[in-house]
Order: sequence, then structure tokens, then C-alpha cells
Amino acid sequence: MEEQDYLQFEAYLTGDLSQDDLLVFNERLQSDAQFKKAFEVYKDMSAHLEHEIMNEQEISDFKANLDVISNKHFNTTENSDNTIETSQKSSFYKYAMAASVVILLGFFIFNQFGKPKYEDYNTFDPISLTVRSSEDANFSTAEQSFNAQNYEDAIKAFNTILENDFSNLEIQLYKSMALVETDQFQEADMLLNKLTNGNTAYRNKAKWILALSYLKQDKTAASIKVLQTIPEDAEDYTSAQDLLDKLD
Amino acid sequence: MSEKKLHEDQKYIDGLAENNTFIIQAIYDKFAPKVINYIKQNSGDAYDAQDVIQETIITIYNQAKQKKLQLTCPFEAYFFLLCKRKWFNQLKKSSRKEVTINEEVLSKDDDAQVLSFETSIFEHKQALFNEMFQHLGDACKDLLKATFKIKSMEEVAKSLNISYAYARKKKSLCIGQLTKLVQASPKFNQLNY
Repeated sequence: MEEQDYLQFEAYLTGDLSQDDLLVFNERLQSDAQFKKAFEVYKDMSAHLEHEIMNEQEISDFKANLDVISNKHFNTTENSDNTIETSQKSSFYKYAMAASVVILLGFFIFNQFGKPKYEDYNTFDPISLTVRSSEDANFSTAEQSFNAQNYEDAIKAFNTILENDFSNLEIQLYKSMALVETDQFQEADMLLNKLTNGNTAYRNKAKWILALSYLKQDKTAASIKVLQTIPEDAEDYTSAQDLLDKLD
Repeated sequence: MSEKKLHEDQKYIDGLAENNTFIIQAIYDKFAPKVINYIKQNSGDAYDAQDVIQETIITIYNQAKQKKLQLTCPFEAYFFLLCKRKWFNQLKKSSRKEVTINEEVLSKDDDAQVLSFETSIFEHKQALFNEMFQHLGDACKDLLKATFKIKSMEEVAKSLNISYAYARKKKSLCIGQLTKLVQASPKFNQLNY
């Protein structure tokens, strides 16, 4: 097809063809199979882009929601398949780890009468990105760098991933954590504010990280304001309350 | 097809399009177990099943949002066929095992066959469209992203510092370029154009 044809496709779709041009266009659709085929592809592509780009936020909200429901479903159904022994064992370790974290935290809190610091709270769980995207090297680079606290490299890998999948909320969240770690607050806060405003599974986590970002920047009032919006059922509710108590 | 009556299970399609948590949960509770069993019986495990189901639901969501998908058959048959076909294709691709899918006919519902086939084609289109978008130059990518996000071509032109007429022309030429890329792809023949 020539440039002129594509311009006509667009004009047709936006309803900008004159009456005469419209007649000619429709006739050509009937008589010229190649023209018709190219037009169909053009039309579908246009609809595709419109959906993907215009609904970017909605689509990523949906994916995040689906992810949560899917994991919940598979964890409950698959756990009941596994032997009870292993799950007991793993929960023993979980409790043991939780207990040691509490003891350690208590130790730190007891020893620190001053203002709470970002460093008291930035113990992030290791992230896991490779289960589902094992073919993509960027995911394993990102995961390894992040977990090794090599945040500059992690950010680079996150950016490459986001180039192809710019609506990936999970990656956006991890990227923002790495940005806070490396004091790139402006971009971090922008991302986090976007995530906290979306209606997704990452919303509460983003609030927690945003509060920590403000804490690190000594914006106490802003931090308190965000902490107060973290609901009781959020994973970080206890930590949030703890930090609130100390800030107040 | 268009004259056919909508099936009452259309509620699942509409619920997905609205990101309705209860509906998504219901889909998992009601329709996932059969898929999981099937995949486990055919060289897969629960993780495979989780991925297949998740990808299938995303495809249905995309189609529902974009093309107003109209269900004229039970959701179960439609969904199962889609998952099954997806799993079958993955086995073929990885060929980690001799593919022996039991083609026992679990659903004789013609509508389910037709609809699920259309959805599979839709999914292939999406994948190819996305792939080709990545081959575009940055200027086109930026322009298209701005165009579909901002909607008003005047504002797009302003934000990219180009004239309105040029922005309009460029938009069609960029989509034109994508059209060419898609048509030139070896995968184009699978798309039923």
C-alpha cells in the first residue's frame, strides 16, 4: 500500500472522508482484495493500540487483581495436595523467622530512642520474578540485582522490562523501591503516587513505600498522612502503625 | 451468528471486562479445576495450569474490552477449549514430550468451537501487534502513545512540538508502517485475514 492509502484508512476511520471519497473508498474495498486486507489489518491495529494505550491503567489494574486471585486460588488448592508434613515444617520456619525478626526489631527499637529512620524499616523481602518469565534474562538480572541490594543495576533491568511492558505494575512497584533506596525521590514519589491512586493489589504496598520515601526525605507530616491511609488488612499495617506511633 | 441469543453466561464476560473480583473468583472456583486436571493428565503441573488459565483470562478480558465479545454458548465449554488449545500449542512449541493430547470430544458445542477459535485468533493478533510495535522507531512509538492517550490531536501536536497537520499525517503513516510489518511477518498467515 502507498502512503496515500494509509491516510485514507485513517480518514475513513475518523469519518473525515468526503461523500465522494467515501463512495470511491467503499468501491475499492469491494473490488481490491489487497486493499481490503490492508485496511482490515490497519483497523484492527488501530483498535488494538487504542485499547492497549488508552486503557493502560485499567489493564494493569485487572492483571494485578487477577494475579492476586490466581495466587490465592492456587495456594489453597495446591497446598491441600501437598503433604501436611512439609507445610508444617515450613510454617515452623516461618514462625521461627517471624519470632527472630520481632526480637531483632525489639532490640533495635529498644536501643534507638531517637527519631525513627528509614533504615529501621527498609528490610524488604526478596522479590521473585523468574517463576513465570524464565525465558527473559532481564527478569533474572532484575531479581538478582534487587535481592543483592544492587539497586542501580536493578533499576536498569526494570527499565528494560518496562520498555516492552510499560503497564507492568509489579515491576513499577519494585522499581520505585529501588529508586527510594538510591535517593531518586522525585521519580519514585511520582510512580508511587500513581500506584497508590490505582485500584490494585499493589496499592497498599505502594502506600507503605511512599511513606518510607517521605520518611527518608524527612517529610514527616507527609509520611504520617500516607501511613494513616494504610488499612488494617494491609500486609504492612503493623509496621505502619509502629512507625506512626514513633512519628506522632 | 449475530442473530443468536446471548447465553446467560455472558455475565462472566461482562464481569471480566469490569474487573469484577467476585466474577473472577467464581471463574476460578467453577471452571479452573477441570483445566488443572486436564493439564496435569497431559504432561503438565499446577504451575503450567496457573499460567495457562491466567493468560486465557487476560485474552478474554482484552477481547471483551475491545470487541464486545458476545457469548452464545456456555462459558465452561468456551473457556475449556481455549485453555486446552493454549496448552496444546505450548506442548508443541517446547516439545519437551511427545505430544499426545487425547482429542476426546469434551464439548460438541459448535458455538464454543467457533467462539474459542475466534478468541485464539484474536490472541495471536494481539501478540503479533505487540511484537511489531516494538520494531517501530521511537518517534512513531512516542507519537502513537501520545495520540491514543491524549485523544485530542491538537494537544498531541503541541506536546510533541509538531504541527497539527503533521501529527495527523504521521499517525496514519505510523499505523501504516505497523500494518506493513504485520503483513510481512511469517506469522501473518495464521491470523485469518
